[in-house]
Amino acid sequence: MRRVSNIALWTAFLAPVALLLVWSFAWRWPWPAPLPNRWRASAWTDLAATGGLGAAALRSLGIATTVAVVATGLGFVTSRSVAEARAREALQWLLHLPFALSPVVLGVGLEYSFLRAGLAGNLVGVALAQGILAYAYAVILLSGLWTARVGAFLEGAATLGATPRQAWTLVLLPLARPLLALCFVQTFLISWFDYALVLLIGGGRVATLTTSLYQFVQSGDLRLAAASALLLLLPPLVALVTQAQPRPDALAGEPDP
Amino acid sequence: MADPGMNPGLRVSGLDVSLGGRAILRDVDFAVDPHSTLAVIGPSGSGKTSLLRALAGLGGRANGAIEVDRRRVDALPAHRRGIVYLNQEPLLFPHLDVRGNIGFGLRLRHRSASRIAVVVDPLVAALGLQGLESRDPLTLSGGERQRVAFGRALAVDPAVLLLDEPFASLDPATRLSMQTLFRQVARDRGITALFVTHDLKECLRVGDQFAAIRDGRCRVYPGRAAFCADPANGVAAEIAFWSDAGTSLRRE
Repeated sequence: MRRVSNIALWTAFLAPVALLLVWSFAWRWPWPAPLPNRWRASAWTDLAATGGLGAAALRSLGIATTVAVVATGLGFVTSRSVAEARAREALQWLLHLPFALSPVVLGVGLEYSFLRAGLAGNLVGVALAQGILAYAYAVILLSGLWTARVGAFLEGAATLGATPRQAWTLVLLPLARPLLALCFVQTFLISWFDYALVLLIGGGRVATLTTSLYQFVQSGDLRLAAASALLLLLPPLVALVTQAQPRPDALAGEPDP
Repeated sequence: MADPGMNPGLRVSGLDVSLGGRAILRDVDFAVDPHSTLAVIGPSGSGKTSLLRALAGLGGRANGAIEVDRRRVDALPAHRRGIVYLNQEPLLFPHLDVRGNIGFGLRLRHRSASRIAVVVDPLVAALGLQGLESRDPLTLSGGERQRVAFGRALAVDPAVLLLDEPFASLDPATRLSMQTLFRQVARDRGITALFVTHDLKECLRVGDQFAAIRDGRCRVYPGRAAFCADPANGVAAEIAFWSDAGTSLRRE
C-alpha cells in the first residue's frame, strides 16, 4: 500500500515536469498523437537568445535570496517573542492575515502606500512586499521551535556554564538548523514563484522570471513557455533536494532505539 | 548530618520559593556536606523540582541565601553558580555525538581538544560507555542516555550536582544499576549532590543525608535512622508490607 502511494506521489509530482520537458523539445505535435513526431531543442536556444531573460532570472534569484535571508533571520528572532507573548493566539491570527488576503489583495492594499513612499516600480519595493508575506510565514513556521523542550535544552546548557550567547550559538542554532533551512527554502519559494506582487508593486518595470514566463504564455508559444517554466522549477528543485531534512524526533523527544 | 566543623558544600538558609505568585516552599534550611548526597523524598507536586530549579537559578521566584562552598550564589545567573542540574529526561544534544555531549561543558570553557580528551576518556570508561563515543544520542538506550547526561554533568567538575529524579523513566533493572553507578562515581569523585526522588528505596540507596518535602516544608533528618523512624516517610509501612509478603510466601 505504501509502495503504491509512493508511486502515486512521485507520478503526481513528476508527470507535469515530464510534460513540460516534452513540450520544450517538441517541434511538431499533431493532435491526437501521444508524443511529438518531430523533436528540436530550438525552444532552449531561442530562450537563451531572448534578450533580458538571463537578467530576469538573476533578478528573481537576487530578490528571492534577499527575501529568504531577511524573513528567516527576522522571523527567527521575533518568533520567540510571539511564542512567549501573552497574546500569542491573537498575534498568530494576525500573522495569518497576509495568507488570507492572498498576494493580489495584499498587493492592491500596499500599492498606494508604496507609490507614495517611492517604493513602487523598483526592486526594493517588490522585495519588501514579498518580504511581508514571507516574514509572516517565517514567524508562524518558527514559532513552533520555542517549545518547553528547547527551553529545557537551553537551561541545561546554562547550568553547564553556557553564557546566553553560547547557549544561542552552540545549542539553539544547531537545534534550529533544520527548521531554519526549511524556512529559508519556503520563503525563497514564496518570492521565487510570486507573480502578483511583482506585477502590482513592480508596475511592469521589474521583470522577473515569472513575469517573463507569463509573457511567453500570453504570446502563445507553448515551447518557450515550457522551457522557461522548467527554468523556473530549477532552483526550487535544487533547494528541495539538497536541503537538510528536519529531524522531528530531535526536538520532540528521545525514542527508545 | 553536617559536621559543625566542616564547611558545607551547599548551604540553603531561609529559602522561600514561589511560582506564578503561588508559594511552593517556605523557609527551607539545609546543608549538604562536601562529597555527600542529600536525598530528598517527596510526593509528586510537592515542590522537589521547584527547589532544584531555584537552587540552579532556573526561574521561579526564590528568596533566601544559597551558598556553594561558602560563596553566595543566589544573585548569580545559572551559568555562574557552579551548580549543574540533571533533568529527569537526559536531554542530550542531538547535534553532538556521545563524546561531544560529554565534553560540551569543557568546550564552553574553551578547553583544547587534548584537554577535553583527558577529562572525557576516563569518564567514558567509568560510566561504561566505551564503544559508544561516536554514537548519535538518539540511537542509545534510556540507561545509556542517562549515563551520557551524567558524564556531561561530571565533566565540568560541578561544585554541586542537582539530580531531578534522573532514573524515574528507566526500567527497574536499569534503574538499580544506575543507582549503584551513581553511588560509586559520586564516592570516587567526591561529588556534592542533591538527589530528589519520590521512590523510597532509591532515596535510601543514593543518600548519605536525608530530607523530606511535605506541605511546602523541607524537613532534614539528623541521620538515616531518624529518617526511617518517621512514619510519614513510609519506611515502616514498606517493611511491614514486605514482611507480610514474606510470611504469605512461606505459608504457600
